[in-house]
Amino acid sequence: MAEQPIDADEINEPAPVRGGSVVIRERFLVNGDKPLPDLDSPNAKAFMAEDRHDLSRHLFALVCTPGIPLRNKAIRQFKANPGPGLLELIEYESVFWPIIGQRTMVIIYERPMGGRVLTQIRNNQARITEYDIPRKVIQPMVDGLRHIRSLNLAHRAVRPDNIYFVDEDLQEIVLGDCVTAPEGFDQPLMYEPLERALANPAGRGTGSTVDDMYALGASLVVLTLGGNPIERMKGEDLLFRRTNLGSYAAICGNARIPLSLLEPLRGLLSDIPTDRWGLDEISNWLNGLKQTPQQKKPARKGDTPLRFGGRDHTNVRTLAHAFNRQIPEAVRLLKDETFHAWLKRSLNEGNLSETLKGFVDTANFHKDDFQGTEEYLVARCCAAMDPYGPIRYKGISVYLDGFGPMLAMEIIRNGNYQVLTEIITREIYQFWVSDRANFLDSIEISQMFAQLKAWLANNDPGFGLERCLYELNPGLSCQSPHIIEDGIIEVEQLLPALDRAANHTDSHNKPMDRHVAAFVAARFSEDIHPHLRAIAATKESTAVIGMLSLLAFLQWKLKAEPVFGLASWVGGLLGPAINAYHSRTTRRELEKEIPKLVRRGSLPDLFDLIDNAEKRREDQDGYADAVEEYSACSNEISDIEGSGNEMQVKAEKTGQKTAATISIITTMIAVTIMFFSEIL
Amino acid sequence: MRVVIWGLLIFMLLLIVALPTVMLLGFGMLPGLVAMIVDRTEERSATFCVGGLNFCGVFPYLMDLWFGDHSLDQAITLLTDVFALAVMYGGACMGWMLYLSLPPVIASFIQVMSERRLQQLRKTQRQILDEWGDEVITDADLGGDGLMPPQPGEAGAGIPAPAE
Repeated sequence: MAEQPIDADEINEPAPVRGGSVVIRERFLVNGDKPLPDLDSPNAKAFMAEDRHDLSRHLFALVCTPGIPLRNKAIRQFKANPGPGLLELIEYESVFWPIIGQRTMVIIYERPMGGRVLTQIRNNQARITEYDIPRKVIQPMVDGLRHIRSLNLAHRAVRPDNIYFVDEDLQEIVLGDCVTAPEGFDQPLMYEPLERALANPAGRGTGSTVDDMYALGASLVVLTLGGNPIERMKGEDLLFRRTNLGSYAAICGNARIPLSLLEPLRGLLSDIPTDRWGLDEISNWLNGLKQTPQQKKPARKGDTPLRFGGRDHTNVRTLAHAFNRQIPEAVRLLKDETFHAWLKRSLNEGNLSETLKGFVDTANFHKDDFQGTEEYLVARCCAAMDPYGPIRYKGISVYLDGFGPMLAMEIIRNGNYQVLTEIITREIYQFWVSDRANFLDSIEISQMFAQLKAWLANNDPGFGLERCLYELNPGLSCQSPHIIEDGIIEVEQLLPALDRAANHTDSHNKPMDRHVAAFVAARFSEDIHPHLRAIAATKESTAVIGMLSLLAFLQWKLKAEPVFGLASWVGGLLGPAINAYHSRTTRRELEKEIPKLVRRGSLPDLFDLIDNAEKRREDQDGYADAVEEYSACSNEISDIEGSGNEMQVKAEKTGQKTAATISIITTMIAVTIMFFSEIL
Repeated sequence: MRVVIWGLLIFMLLLIVALPTVMLLGFGMLPGLVAMIVDRTEERSATFCVGGLNFCGVFPYLMDLWFGDHSLDQAITLLTDVFALAVMYGGACMGWMLYLSLPPVIASFIQVMSERRLQQLRKTQRQILDEWGDEVITDADLGGDGLMPPQPGEAGAGIPAPAE
């Protein structure tokens, strides 16, 4: 069973650990007996690591929580392209981690010898003055973020407890790990831009440097003050406050922010993504160039509050957030004229009021289909009320670029993933995308979701919900019950994992279940549609041969090592495929041959044996001849047996004819002899 | 009608030219004539059977006429000879006996042969079922060509061979 992921806001103390060590890539020893809780990430435990080739290197390992989608692309990119301002990712591998008794991804990082910056500040080991902030803190982080942007990635885990001193002298600062959980998943609400903070943690989305810049601003506040000024404010209260006051005012409040940092903090903590300072603006500021002052822009507030969901709302954004939690009440309010009067008079949102009324009318018109449901109406209204907000539907808030991790989390936690599939199948995303066409690539998103919808509509193995899951989460391990504990992320690891699974799995189950098929379809670059079609066949023999052909294709293409256990497992399931041959002799021959090939561990050979085209053609021809011969025999038997006394009559007639013939022949012979004896 | 007229003409001619022969044949072949009248079957097996052996009995005396004294007296002498009549009618009798006794023998023979053939056919069918299975019966009854539906790996099923 996969370990449950931990939300960043729910961490209290590190989990207890037990001993055990592993070696990564035959070089890096990860010592499970030496945990480093100071370097833990919210969803990955830190352990001491050492380079066997260079014992002087300071390293540590992050052992990921199985089941949480990893940022695979980022892992590969960071390893291939180490950059300034970032903790160097040295190596990674999915290995069996004895402490949890299953395989998981282990990532080796350069060890930051100075520990967490925030911890050192709180322990008075380090002191960062307002004059140190630009060069000592902001500059390295900006370098790191710039490097990440050059890789077409975003960090999405910039927060004070993820910023480290890389040296023991506490001089050089780097950004910590960001690949052990989906983008933004580990971020407390305070460090996520308002629009993304409104989404569920897993659905906050890939984001971009724009989001990292906000997190940088929020982190700077905490590092500058040496603590979080709104530490006690959590969850909905924080969101409500940020929405009403604006993030800058909500976070900084009455804190004594150094004057020199006011300008960048206002720029970085802007709640309007387009107004937020980017890397260029912060670099210019670092270089002393004067920036256009960022005006404090609190959210539009109404004159009189509207009571809904136990809170007094003075803007539509908080209301949209609340609507998604209390749908029936929201619908009642949407149909209430006083609400529209409040929108017009208090918020001066006459156009929005008309738009919402239009949605209510449309819902009334579509009373009998899903567009007339309360959930759809509220989702439609929320999208209009909060143009920068996430998709809100049936209590779930998710960005389209966070759809994959959200789906993964809901499936892994056995949560409400049906709502997410409804967003796809009922095209709930369509109106959300069209409302945001000015800042979203609506065509690309529509194409992607149309593809997801097509996969969902197909219930065959290799498609369906599982296909969406793996396509949207390249870093998610295969969730097949056979190999879930192996934490398989790359398709190259699949056959060895199934080979191991053969030792402990019920061999009556097929190795190619829906998860494995979808995993291969999503991760394997070759065209496997013919194999999937065969696997989906209702005829068991075809399905079994399809499964074998796909596994054999994988072994052949990936040049995988012999898989003795898997070959034995598959060999035991080939009964229907063998029985597809009509000839009992051929069947016996195949049954005799299979154990020999199983001992070679070669699935292609096994496939060649079972689905030999020439052998199959011979079998077909032989069978056709047999049917014909059997039919001919039956006909002859029917002829012989005849019906009633037909045979007797026939025999008598034959006898009479024979008698006549004998008589005539005898006469002719006798007459001839007599005649010639007379004349000679 | 024309055939009858021509037949009568030839008969009349034969009466004038070979009255002894006609007389001998007329009396000697009486059993054959009776068999022809009695035998109403299409194959006329009885006629051929009785008539054939009857003629076999008549022919020696016919030869005596043709190569000896071809006269009416000689014909009458032959027809009044009991031994000659016994030979002629004995031949016819042999024909009848052959006609009556051979069919049951032949039928029994055919029956034995058929049963043997049936055994052979059933053995062949059993061998086919042992090798190809009971589905052969269904396919044979359905009158199909006995071909299996396309299997993976075959042309048409579209599964690429995993290894070359």
